[in-house]
Amino acid sequence: MTDKQQTNPMLPYLGKLVEVKDIATEIKLFRVEMLNGGGEAFHDYKPGQFAFVSAFGVGEAPFGIANIPHFGEQNGNRNGDATLDFAINRLGSVTTDLHELGVGDMVGVRGPMGNGFPMDKFKGKNLIVIGGGIGGAPLRPVIQTVIANRADYGHFQILWAARNPSLLVFTDEYDNWRATPDTKLHLTVDQADDTWNYGVGLITQLLERVAPSPENAVTITCGPPIMIHFVNRVLVEKLGFMPEQNYVTLEARMHCGIGKCGRCNLGTKLICVDGPVFTMAEVGALLESFL
Amino acid sequence: MNYLTRQEVAAWLDHLAQEQTLIAPLDIAGNILYRPVSDTKEVVWDFVRSFMSVKEVFFPPTERLMLMEKIGQQVMLTETLPEGNSIIFGVRPCDARGLLTLDALFIENEPVDPYYARRRENTTLIGLACQSVGASCFCTNVGGAPDDPTGMDIMLTASNGGYVAEIITEKGEKISKKFPVFDGLSEIRPHPTHARKRELKVPPKEVWPARFNDDFWAEMAERCLSCRICAYVCPSCRCFDIRDEALPGMDGRNQSERIRCWDSCNGIPYRRVAGGHNPRFMKNQRLRNRFFCKFYYFPLHYGPVSCTGCGRCIDACPVNVDITEVLGYVGRR
Repeated sequence: MTDKQQTNPMLPYLGKLVEVKDIATEIKLFRVEMLNGGGEAFHDYKPGQFAFVSAFGVGEAPFGIANIPHFGEQNGNRNGDATLDFAINRLGSVTTDLHELGVGDMVGVRGPMGNGFPMDKFKGKNLIVIGGGIGGAPLRPVIQTVIANRADYGHFQILWAARNPSLLVFTDEYDNWRATPDTKLHLTVDQADDTWNYGVGLITQLLERVAPSPENAVTITCGPPIMIHFVNRVLVEKLGFMPEQNYVTLEARMHCGIGKCGRCNLGTKLICVDGPVFTMAEVGALLESFL
Repeated sequence: MNYLTRQEVAAWLDHLAQEQTLIAPLDIAGNILYRPVSDTKEVVWDFVRSFMSVKEVFFPPTERLMLMEKIGQQVMLTETLPEGNSIIFGVRPCDARGLLTLDALFIENEPVDPYYARRRENTTLIGLACQSVGASCFCTNVGGAPDDPTGMDIMLTASNGGYVAEIITEKGEKISKKFPVFDGLSEIRPHPTHARKRELKVPPKEVWPARFNDDFWAEMAERCLSCRICAYVCPSCRCFDIRDEALPGMDGRNQSERIRCWDSCNGIPYRRVAGGHNPRFMKNQRLRNRFFCKFYYFPLHYGPVSCTGCGRCIDACPVNVDITEVLGYVGRR
């Protein structure tokens, strides 16, 4: 962090949009090149961490960072600073304004924040990534980490779902995921259309069908709270997983990201600093339900 | 100790007001509020408790965090930290305790909030001991007292028709210097203010988790309107929202400000997440959260209990939700 940011955690870094593309209905992927020292701050953030993105003049909101850090020559960025990806669904005022922006426009970025997924702890284990809709965004850096360090992890399964095919994210990356050794991608949608050649049904049904073994495995889930709840139930009650094996990333409409504003408390925990990544054992032990 | 007549204190305030902003209790349309003083004759000396706490001075209902200006595709950001020194006269012990509670969150818990921290640094507190306690006051039950100097820079206690002044900190020392009445020679000591102590035991934080699923919260919440006034009058509630507002156009410039404003966990949108799900959709869940925050979560995270016993929420609540009733219930079982 720069000195100024250190003294004022509410000031965002500036970021320039270098790429904006539609990836699903009302969902765009924004690639942000960090300016004014932000590249430094985001030098080695972890998968599962999040950042606040500002639409200047409208507001800021927290988003899971949708990529692993990549720098310099690797992506042709002349400063060697990090570029960050955010997959953003147009829903409220901030996201609507962000959707109006194009390449060259400025956004603000504050972060990285939160604990992130313990990717080192996952090494040597079989991973099952379970993503529902826009919940796939914070899971993409997990997938990228496994692909980039394939030998470090065991068998890899991705269960990817959405309400309908037009809401599936990162579809143009499926081939790359499928081509990764010892990796399987399973798709489902709640409601199919004419173009759909894969399964239809809830992600819990897909999960029962795929039936991953709990042995030496961890699951990583992100999606709406109700999905997280039922996915964990299937994993524990039908497939024999322990809640400790099931990692989830939770969400709240937080405002500061640094444990001050109070908005994201979940019983004794603050999602912004204690999370957003928890095991279902931790979530289950909380006084208050996330549901 | 120092002994000052009221005229001497008034003359001293006049003197201070020339150098710094003086904030003091004023009667604003029948409500006692801490506001900048233009004429010290307007200062209210005898009151039980102000309608709003001094929290407003340090953590304003709405404050600007930065200015933003869009110029083509470029954006200019200007940090807007608070400037200037001020002195608050007539701070009540419960409000000074409220500031210590906010300090634990905004300053002692990293990272430091520079807006709050700077105001704390640049403000000197002149306390005024309560001579009488209000019907809803219960500071003595949460560790305070009507004449408790904790957190003050100078403490004034009415005595023998004037005021005994105790200089507590260097900041206090600084504003008393050069004013000859602070001679330290007085033999007069402040009498402790007589405070009735209620039969009320504040339950320690360990007691709370077992009460989480009790029906009591739903019963209590039946009459709650989720109006949030309890949080706004509270000297230690600190939840906030952040948003951007456009500034009226000047020469066609595209300027806006980022503001933060008070919020409360009693509001419905407070805990709503993307997609509309709300884990605290029910009033009883929200009401429960407020009390659990004050006496369980806040002490767990930051140390102090987030209640100073000022009783403002009891007086302000339009439907008589009474924090002492809650404490009584949780402590009794």
